[in-house]
Amino acid sequence: MDLLNSYNLQVLTFIVLNLILAISIYVTLSTGQLSLGHAGFMAMGAYGTAILTEQAGLPLFLAVIIAALGTGAISLLIGLPTLRLNGLYLAIATLGFGEVVRVIFLNLEITNGALGITGLHSIGSRVYDILKGFGIKSSTLGMNVLEVKALATLVVLLLLFLAVLFFILRLNRSRVGRAFSAIKADETAAMAMGINITYYKMLAFVIGSVLAGMCGGLFAHITTAITPDDFNYHRVVEILSFAVIGGSEVVIGPLFGATLLTALPEVLRVLSEYKMMFYGGLMVLVMAFRPHGLITAETFARFKRKKKQATGTLDDTNAREGM
Amino acid sequence: MIWQQLFNGLTVGSTYSLIAIGYTLIFGVLRIINMAHGQIFIFGSLVGLAVTVNSGLPILVAFAVSILISGVLGVALEFSAMRPLRKKNVPHLASLISTIGFAILVEQLTHLLFGADSRAVPAVATGSYEVGPLMVRQVDLIIIVVSVVLMIVLNYWINRTKMGKALRATAENGDTAGLLGINTNAIIILTVCIASALGGVAGMLIGLTYSALIPTMGLTLGFKGLAVLILGGVGSIPGAMVCGLILGMAEVLTVAYGDSSYRDAVAFGLIILILLLRPQGLFGKKA
Repeated sequence: MDLLNSYNLQVLTFIVLNLILAISIYVTLSTGQLSLGHAGFMAMGAYGTAILTEQAGLPLFLAVIIAALGTGAISLLIGLPTLRLNGLYLAIATLGFGEVVRVIFLNLEITNGALGITGLHSIGSRVYDILKGFGIKSSTLGMNVLEVKALATLVVLLLLFLAVLFFILRLNRSRVGRAFSAIKADETAAMAMGINITYYKMLAFVIGSVLAGMCGGLFAHITTAITPDDFNYHRVVEILSFAVIGGSEVVIGPLFGATLLTALPEVLRVLSEYKMMFYGGLMVLVMAFRPHGLITAETFARFKRKKKQATGTLDDTNAREGM
Repeated sequence: MIWQQLFNGLTVGSTYSLIAIGYTLIFGVLRIINMAHGQIFIFGSLVGLAVTVNSGLPILVAFAVSILISGVLGVALEFSAMRPLRKKNVPHLASLISTIGFAILVEQLTHLLFGADSRAVPAVATGSYEVGPLMVRQVDLIIIVVSVVLMIVLNYWINRTKMGKALRATAENGDTAGLLGINTNAIIILTVCIASALGGVAGMLIGLTYSALIPTMGLTLGFKGLAVLILGGVGSIPGAMVCGLILGMAEVLTVAYGDSSYRDAVAFGLIILILLLRPQGLFGKKA
């Protein structure tokens, strides 16, 4: 049980949370749109969920769903005027949105201003309470209470992540996913093919925002305390760098990026001090040398072709289709 | 009272115009939004301020240092984050993202060198005049005059000189301009340098208005410049000039007659409004 101490479990939990965030920015990017408002959407999800569970006494899962849908509704309002235009407008409008959300939460009474909301009932405690209801105590599992709670949080997040991943993989294979990639490849051509590009861009943006809102709600109930500063511009850059550095062509890219960028500062202590500088520098370097990210669709194509060659059944069309 | 507020808005707004022109110039030539603009010029201004405060030299030196440092950083931005991406088969968002990366680098450098506390700007030209209902501080006059003179010079340079012509040609079509013997790379470096240097002036002027510079201003001021860019129509220099003033006045009126904590939200509100009503901006041409 040494490996499963609560510190390691917490790091893993944050990696999984960042994996979901990486997917949320990936969905928006998959139509070639850049949203810089993911921290704002996270903040709305976090505060929404926290207020719903603490003040209205709703169960957590219901609060997360309501807050995430509410976030989606707001993103609809931002997408409406901006998504018809060049992608630049969405980037700037969402950047402004993120800052405005922060300013509003800093000044509202219900969000407790700069001090934020503290003392939330965490996911771990909630699950532990349920377990206790079934008569399972930490001693029966041979761990201490903190470890059980941390493990429970991780399991819940992992299940959610798998559900989201499954949804996205299905989405990619569907009509909608193909429309997304057509728009990303060439908007004009996609329009000529009869694809309603504003509708699909909006869909991608709203899905991304709902996921970000959900992550916000989860984040609030993992850390049990949130302040407006948890959702500043740095958070945006962090989320963006997952997809940008990992690569945003295939879903593996952002997942790889999120794992790498969350785990590295934990392993290398020096990095955690200069984390943002590291992210910034890496962003510039990756864009200069591998503008499509570290992992691209090409990476897999080459890998598969090599495999085929090794088994001696090189079939060019197959190799290409295997993509 | 309202006249005084509008005048204050004019002062702040003229600096917003300068910031927005920095974005406009770079966008015009490169079709790139330089997300590092705010962070670059606030770094330049802070260095300028530190030099004068520590050495006791006049504030003019701070302006010179700020212009120099901002310009140099602008050139560094061009070489590290923009030029490597000017090749084929690069996604169109890549340059936006690499300037964001550069912005974070500069911001962290600012944080390392200057911390997070606001820095006082020594008061200059403390006298004031009464003009009708207005109380005009000398420093306000300096700010407005400097901004207006810079804008006039820039306009003259772009529209009347040979180099300005080369710049317009590069903006129109870089490849063709290159074929006609214009050194487009040199023009681009010059543009980025001038845009950042203008920011350096704007940063110092803002320091004079508020009597302080805050290291985190880079992001908020940068966003205001972007808001002005959209309000005026992306790529329009007259648009940037006029809409900077409009944003300045709108903000001051919000603070005076509304809630001062929502000052930074005004720019965002105006963006959404203009995108709904007139997406090409006040001075933009319909695409």
